[in-house]
Amino acid sequence: MQKEFPVFSVLNSALNTISAALLIQRWYRQHVARLEMRRRCTWNIFQSIEYAGEQDQIKLYNYFGFLMDHFTPASSERNLISHIFRKNEICLDTEWERYFCYKSIEVTKSYTGPHLMFPVTFCGVSKLVEAFKHKEQLHARYVLQLLGETWRLLRTFPNISHVIACHTKAITICGDLHGHLEDLLLIFYKNGLPSSDKPYVFNGDFVDRGKNSLEILLTLFGFLLVYPNDVHLNRGNHEDHIVNLRYGFTKEVLGKYRVHGKKILKLLQMIFSWLPLATVIDNKVLIVHGGISDTTDLDKIARVDRQKYASALRPPKMKSDSYLESKTTETDLDEWKQVMDVLWSDPMPQNGCIPNEVRGRGCYWGPDVTEEVLRRNNLQLLIRSHECKQDGYEFCHNRRVITIFSASNYYEVGSNRGAFIRMGPDLVPHIIQYQASTTCRELTLRQSVGWTERSALQALREQLFVHRSDLISAFQEFDPNNKGMISVTHWASTTERVLNLGLPWRVLRPQLVSSTQHGMMDYQRWIKELSITEPKLEISDNSILDTMYKNHSNLETIFRIIDTDHSGLISFKEFHQTWELLRSHLKTEISAKAIADLAQSIDFNKDGSIDINEFLEAFRLVDISAHN
Amino acid sequence: MAPKKKEEPKAAAAPKPPEPERPKTPVFDPATVTLEFTPEQIEDFKDSFQLFDTTPTNEMKITYAQCGDLIRALGQNPTNTEIMNVLGKPKVEDMHTKMLDFDQFLPMHQHICKAKDCGTYEDFVEGLRVFDKEGNGTVMGAELRHVLATLGEKMREDEVDQLMQNQEDANGCINYEAFVKYIMAS
Repeated sequence: MQKEFPVFSVLNSALNTISAALLIQRWYRQHVARLEMRRRCTWNIFQSIEYAGEQDQIKLYNYFGFLMDHFTPASSERNLISHIFRKNEICLDTEWERYFCYKSIEVTKSYTGPHLMFPVTFCGVSKLVEAFKHKEQLHARYVLQLLGETWRLLRTFPNISHVIACHTKAITICGDLHGHLEDLLLIFYKNGLPSSDKPYVFNGDFVDRGKNSLEILLTLFGFLLVYPNDVHLNRGNHEDHIVNLRYGFTKEVLGKYRVHGKKILKLLQMIFSWLPLATVIDNKVLIVHGGISDTTDLDKIARVDRQKYASALRPPKMKSDSYLESKTTETDLDEWKQVMDVLWSDPMPQNGCIPNEVRGRGCYWGPDVTEEVLRRNNLQLLIRSHECKQDGYEFCHNRRVITIFSASNYYEVGSNRGAFIRMGPDLVPHIIQYQASTTCRELTLRQSVGWTERSALQALREQLFVHRSDLISAFQEFDPNNKGMISVTHWASTTERVLNLGLPWRVLRPQLVSSTQHGMMDYQRWIKELSITEPKLEISDNSILDTMYKNHSNLETIFRIIDTDHSGLISFKEFHQTWELLRSHLKTEISAKAIADLAQSIDFNKDGSIDINEFLEAFRLVDISAHN
Repeated sequence: MAPKKKEEPKAAAAPKPPEPERPKTPVFDPATVTLEFTPEQIEDFKDSFQLFDTTPTNEMKITYAQCGDLIRALGQNPTNTEIMNVLGKPKVEDMHTKMLDFDQFLPMHQHICKAKDCGTYEDFVEGLRVFDKEGNGTVMGAELRHVLATLGEKMREDEVDQLMQNQEDANGCINYEAFVKYIMAS
């Protein structure tokens, strides 16, 4: 090894070294590109299913709206749902105070959870956070008291919070949390608790999906009460009691507070409608949950009566109890649009502004709209959330827009990191990323792509399974001789036609279909191989089964609406009416006898009423391949 | 260690960058490319193309910057130079703004597929053997990192980290046959 090399072989080995480097680099770049393709596929799957669910819910509500407008007042179906459209803020505040009064609720000696003294102090709230860390639950009395104080405080806030960035403190901006308490705790750990020296902006979507939505709210409200000038909450599209029916928050509250859950939900409904819509820092940085549109006007937004807009799914038509005399003014619709755009919009790479058909509310807005709105309002930066990003954040529109998302592992363990922004008086955003994880080791990129991919494919297989009858009849159109075979091309186009998820089926084929021969596949066997269990009940009619699977979320939403006293139980009659509602929405035929039989068979307690949770659990799909 | 030190400065002074067998390529002309893909393959490419299309109205367009990733995702492994060549040697600032549609993409992809020179498993192992100083089937992780970041089409530090994640043993060595299998396996 100490010898002198002749020049020739030195050059040769130098070339070898470079060739070798190039070869490795080429292969590495291919490896990364293939992983990226898999990751995108997986992401597409999760997003399509998520957005299809959102669209589904909006369709259901539009249908309810239609019912309200077009049926005679005596119609029984209408009566089932009319209460969700009734404007209920007619009561005086004093009446509400009486209704929400916590004073009669006693904290017994057997209660081992945290105690909260009022007025709340920094110490008190920090202790509360510690208690939540140890999975303790706050007593309903304290919950109602805390929420009551929050409600009173929020009513004094304007629609747009104005913040001055001070040279002594940086401001921290967090995105969607969606019930992920571990992420909030991680942020507090890395960044410190909120205080007058450590101001925070939380940009909406605190609830739904994760299992600690309530603890997050109580924590944020606690700090808000202690530092009302330094903690700023923006409303997100999930701060909406109707959206909560579908996405888990309602269920979480009712599960944790069986006696007082209903009151808590009602108070939260009002709090949500009083949350401010935007935060502006130094008149230069705009922070809203969703985004903007070409008609976004901050002056108009500052003037709206924000608490009128309790839910995105209740357009301002419903001005009074009597629908026959409802009038919608231009101003109402204009205001409505201002609020919806700010809560639901997403950015797009192209110029222009088009309705956001995927979500069903808000717009897609382009870089030209960003420039115009920022210029018009004398702003330099827009910070928004609303969309999950793999790295927890993303710049777009020439770095004039930042998306910040703070719920890590949103779709699945390892699917994405969370992030928050720290900003000093120079208004330069600094991004800090993190990932909450129960396992200490960080997954390699390949591993995290693999995990998330497995989960996405499972979700996709479930979707395929619930549509199996439609799929088989559609496939049969291309198989007139009933051979049970179909070409891959037809398989892909048909599956897309039936499921309507906008997914790259050809790219997914190797993961979903075990084998093909000469470009053909056996679709009957494929459907069988999807390996999803059948439910625990004996139901002869397959079409009811499929309808039930497909409309699982819709059913849950309708049940929870009908269950006005939030008891978790509905009577046979109400169950029948639910089916009627769903059947008319889906325009499908299900015989009355079939429904009656179904009701009998799922009356697990044989007491004449149906437990909603048990029912939904019985029809939850389980992928048996997951147990392999 | 001494021989290594002697070699490195000379490597930096090596006469030509590493593509001696490729003549100076003329400007790529898509019209001269005959497409030999089957209709099935084209359908597959379309699906993948759509995955990279981020226009919400699904215009079937991708940016120039994504072209290379797509070609690689479809199974080829060109160098960056080859990709810039089929793109018509665009300016750096155009990479994220200029877009191409599927019909413009196909001849580029065909050209890369034809110029098949991707290197086999053996080529790869041979390449890595260059760094195997002791002839024992392992290379020093540190040396490999250095080479990948400074020679050829340099990789960034975070790219190198990602590549080497969990590959080095306690002594900082990599068993390169296993390494190659790992890279080629995705």
